[in-house]
Amino acid sequence: MKNGKFITLGIETSCDESAASIVADGRELLSNVISSQIDIHTQFGGVVPEIASRKHLENINMVIDKAIKDANCTVDDIDLIGVTYGPGLVGALLIGVAAAKAMAYACDIPLVGVNHMHGHVAANYLEHPELEPPFMGLVVSGGHTNIIFVEEYNTCRKLGGTRDDAAGEAFDKVARVIGLGYPGGPKVDKAAREGDKAAIDFKRVYLEKGSYDFSFSGLKTQALNYLNTEKQAGREINVNDVAASFQEAVVEVIVDKAIAAALEYDQKRIVMAGGVASNSRLRELICERAAEHNIEVLRPSPILCTDNGAMIASAAYYAYKNGERSGFDLDAVPGLEF
Amino acid sequence: MKILALETTGKYGSAAVIDDGRVYCAESSGEMNHLKEIIKITGEALEAAGITKKELTHIAASVGPGSFTGIRIGVTVARTMAQMLDLPCVAVSSLESMAENVKTAAMESGCETVAAVINARRHQTYAGAWSIKDGKLINLLDDRQYMIEEFLEQLAGNRVYFVGDGIDAYEEIIQAETGLEAYVMAEGKLRYQTAEAVAKLAAEAASEGNVVGYEELMPDYMRLSEAEQRLKEGTLSDKIKKLNRRG
Repeated sequence: MKNGKFITLGIETSCDESAASIVADGRELLSNVISSQIDIHTQFGGVVPEIASRKHLENINMVIDKAIKDANCTVDDIDLIGVTYGPGLVGALLIGVAAAKAMAYACDIPLVGVNHMHGHVAANYLEHPELEPPFMGLVVSGGHTNIIFVEEYNTCRKLGGTRDDAAGEAFDKVARVIGLGYPGGPKVDKAAREGDKAAIDFKRVYLEKGSYDFSFSGLKTQALNYLNTEKQAGREINVNDVAASFQEAVVEVIVDKAIAAALEYDQKRIVMAGGVASNSRLRELICERAAEHNIEVLRPSPILCTDNGAMIASAAYYAYKNGERSGFDLDAVPGLEF
Repeated sequence: MKILALETTGKYGSAAVIDDGRVYCAESSGEMNHLKEIIKITGEALEAAGITKKELTHIAASVGPGSFTGIRIGVTVARTMAQMLDLPCVAVSSLESMAENVKTAAMESGCETVAAVINARRHQTYAGAWSIKDGKLINLLDDRQYMIEEFLEQLAGNRVYFVGDGIDAYEEIIQAETGLEAYVMAEGKLRYQTAEAVAKLAAEAASEGNVVGYEELMPDYMRLSEAEQRLKEGTLSDKIKKLNRRG
């Protein structure tokens, strides 16, 4: 406890950011340290799991130390440790889990394992002090595309998810073949602003009527085929047009399904989360459509959209308040479901 | 000195506490259960030694070579415990600790050389060899990557006691090697890494002042990741190279 507030340390290492953060009473951000490995992985065209694991080991203790110091706290102030235990890269996850368990054991601090996806939703509790469940959640990231009905703090019902590639994954792959490189999301977003979103008619895949699931692999293939055909015909490819048209096909489907879910479950708020929630066209279109139905759209600032420890701390706090505890046998679960 | 030693580089994980030369060891129940059981066995080793974690003076870890994932679990737990308890760390080689563990067995079976061999697949190993002189290990072949055939050639003429999971993988190759004067292979649990030997070597190292801060306790993978290896050799896929050139 510090100044009468409950102090949570959140630790996150599920992909390529080693992150730790101190949060007071589950809502108030006291520090947020993110050590990104993006420069290292860029030279390989994407995240290399073995390298990510090695870097997490080298970074994690310094990141934890800095998070505590930046918050003007000491280890003795910490009431709870929250750590991402899945989903993610197994070798990356286990660094965070091993460090969190060792710290919990050495300092006798309670431990809660957090689902990374619940963390993304919880990022909004840090950004919007008045936000409380229920609401409709839309989690779009490099590895996930989910529509989640958040009924209570600890009850998230998954209404739909991707059946093949996640939205961010599709962005990365298309970015690679049109020569934009890694990370694909922000680069496609930027190129698309200079392009014509109606230039190429990429298909919108809605699956069965009423389904909240996604499928982006067909779209990805269509984009690759288009590029091949153009190349063989000797035509110049307008990278900006491809980026804009591809992005529009992804974004339209996500927005339509999120709005439909909010309407079906009678929710007046859509809460966005995950790295792709920073995509400018997604934000623009969802706000436009939501306004037509009097639905409010909330999202965290970009720094809380990326992977971070603060969102894990917030989610851990609410899980702890709900009586959840993890034992020292906590394991990394790379394929953890929502 | 009261040292906690962790060994998670092989298929069996273990934790040991050495207190005044006496070693108390706890083992994980299954194979490759390191992350799940590391704290539990740490607690068991401390309890067996009858001391609390606050009484520890050093944290030691087997830093490799071995399973990359395994190495990281032990080293991360050691670093974090040392950070939180404000203790110095001791790095111990998995190969040397295996050699230490079978020293007596080797002498009893008439071998003057111990070879520790970890399977790195496709005829590759992480290995090292020691001569036993006056009950002490004297380095004979440096710890590094060897092709198994190359390693065996360098041991020609010796009576060698083999230890490590390299035996599981290359038993037939070792048996077929005619250059060795004689050989014995460690059997049962003696064949694999144990924190007991890590603790003993850590106590020796610590008494000689060979300690590091927790930030300097680093894994010894003995090998770059495959992607880094390919980057170095210039064999990364052309598409990625093209992207790199564009910057």
